[in-house]
Amino acid sequence: MNSIEIRELTKAYGSHRAVDGLTFDVLPGRVTGFLGPNGAGKSTTMRLLLGLDRATSGTATIGGRRYLDLPDPLHRVGALLDAQSAHGGRTARDHLLFLAAAGRMPVRRVDEVLEQTGIASVARRRIKSFSLGMRQRLGIAAALLGDPGVLLLDEPTNGLDPEGIIWIRELMRGLAAEGRSVLVSSHLMSETSAFADHLVVLGKGKLLADTSMAEFIDARSTRRVRLRTSDPIRLRVALAREGFELAAADDGRWTVEGIRAEQLGNLAAREGIPVLELSDERASLEQAYLDLTADHAQFTATH
Amino acid sequence: MRAALPTVPSLHSEWIKIRSLRGTLGGLIAVLAATAGIQALTAAAIGQAEEGSMGSDPLFAAYYGISFGQIAAMVFGAGAVSSEFHNGALRTSLAAVPNRTRFYLSKIATVGVLALLTGQVTGLATFVAGQAFMGQYALELGDPGTYRAVVGSGLYLTLMALFAAGLTAVLRSGTVVLSLLIPFVLLVSFVVGEAAGGAAQFLPDRAGQLVVHSRMEGDLGPWTGLGVMALWAGAAVLGGWLAVRRRDA
Ligand SMILES: Nc1ncnc2c1ncn2[C@@H]1O[C@H](COP(=O)(O)OP(=O)(O)OP(=O)(O)O)[C@@H](O)[C@H]1O
Ligand SMILES: [Mg+2]
Repeated sequence: MNSIEIRELTKAYGSHRAVDGLTFDVLPGRVTGFLGPNGAGKSTTMRLLLGLDRATSGTATIGGRRYLDLPDPLHRVGALLDAQSAHGGRTARDHLLFLAAAGRMPVRRVDEVLEQTGIASVARRRIKSFSLGMRQRLGIAAALLGDPGVLLLDEPTNGLDPEGIIWIRELMRGLAAEGRSVLVSSHLMSETSAFADHLVVLGKGKLLADTSMAEFIDARSTRRVRLRTSDPIRLRVALAREGFELAAADDGRWTVEGIRAEQLGNLAAREGIPVLELSDERASLEQAYLDLTADHAQFTATH
Repeated sequence: MRAALPTVPSLHSEWIKIRSLRGTLGGLIAVLAATAGIQALTAAAIGQAEEGSMGSDPLFAAYYGISFGQIAAMVFGAGAVSSEFHNGALRTSLAAVPNRTRFYLSKIATVGVLALLTGQVTGLATFVAGQAFMGQYALELGDPGTYRAVVGSGLYLTLMALFAAGLTAVLRSGTVVLSLLIPFVLLVSFVVGEAAGGAAQFLPDRAGQLVVHSRMEGDLGPWTGLGVMALWAGAAVLGGWLAVRRRDA
């Protein structure tokens, strides 16, 4: 009921395919991070889902129905598209009031989301006087208005201060824990890993990965330990017997590829080799993500 | 089709949008202020100078102010639609009312009803306020054509607002629409229209304003003239509907 189904979704602008044969699901009860370089098609996918743009082919549905066919759309789906999707001449409160009227919601609800997003004190100011972070909070307020089971948030942390980023992270985790579907786009893997349970990665309109966060970390980061020992010679022999190789690192420490700290610690203890320092080292998540999308970035700076 | 008609919530939402923007609400108030105000001021200044000092057709002279009021009506109609093309406002609106036909009809209906109410008040206020300064040359309500002019002037202003609203939905810019329409009604139509008859009599403002004339010079009567204006407005509204339905938001 609260899931999102994307099937063979394609959107062509002229001859350019912004979204190209995408298929994936967004399931309730977890936060799904939606990643991809600039122009990958994240925002386009969200617009197609809301019926704002027309798909060239394929379907995007919510609980099996097109957004257009939902009888009570604001109560089913809340969307933050981009922070600019509001007329600057209106006050924040009026912006939410016309949405609430369209969704048959009481005025009380408007004041609730204004409080919840921390912009109640500026509610009667015109939106054009808002900072990017304030607009972003207004957009989040609009998305939350109908208490929807599905949330689409396009770069919600854009422009938020650190306190705001922590707040939205907690908010999204809380919404997912209540059984809602939360799809959140971002450019940063490190940021996304702080709140997402699942990952969908796009590159040039195509699906590059659809995996749980944990699997992504396991599969994409190579295992390696870093250690200090007073007896590298015996350790090298002991490791070689197990098929591992001790390599000198530049700071006087040693590294071993393809092994976990736990495994190496046990081995050293069995052999009675003193190990002074031992830690797992993972290729950074951000690096793993960049490697994945490297060939699919449309816009890259030339050095 | 039934499923796409405006609903109470969609109309309520459109009303909030209009009243919450200075430009649109101001345009609506300006319809009354410009038409009746300029009428009264002009009548006070020159109305009693001599017979026919405000124009040879006394009924049309009683609606001199409509030339200005129609511009306010255009500003209102164009503004109500163009506000959707400001930033990504349309996306938010369509997320709330995803059926585009319903969204568009709700907006057009709200613009139409507000313009009609304001127009009717304006029609009467202009007549009363203007004639109060005309002294011995004043018309009285009940004189030939006066009731028709009171009601018809309000309808004319409504159709002008709808004409501008529809065109704005086609061209997606209020600025473009107003910079086409305002010079058109102020200049082109005045100049071309002086040669009565011919094709010029079918121009929207020429045809529509016949409803406040007492003498007809071309092929159209007061109501058929307003009917021609209604066709223009209807075509613009239809074009706007096709554009809103077809385009990506
Ligand atoms: N209305 C449009 N007309 C033409 N091309 C478009 C339109 N909207 C998007 N595109 C193109 O579609 C591609 C995908 O854009 P989209 O905005 O979906 O990317 P994105 O993943 O959201 O990027 P970003 O991270 O920069 O927000 C881009 O190449 C963009 O130029
Ligand atoms: Mg984007």
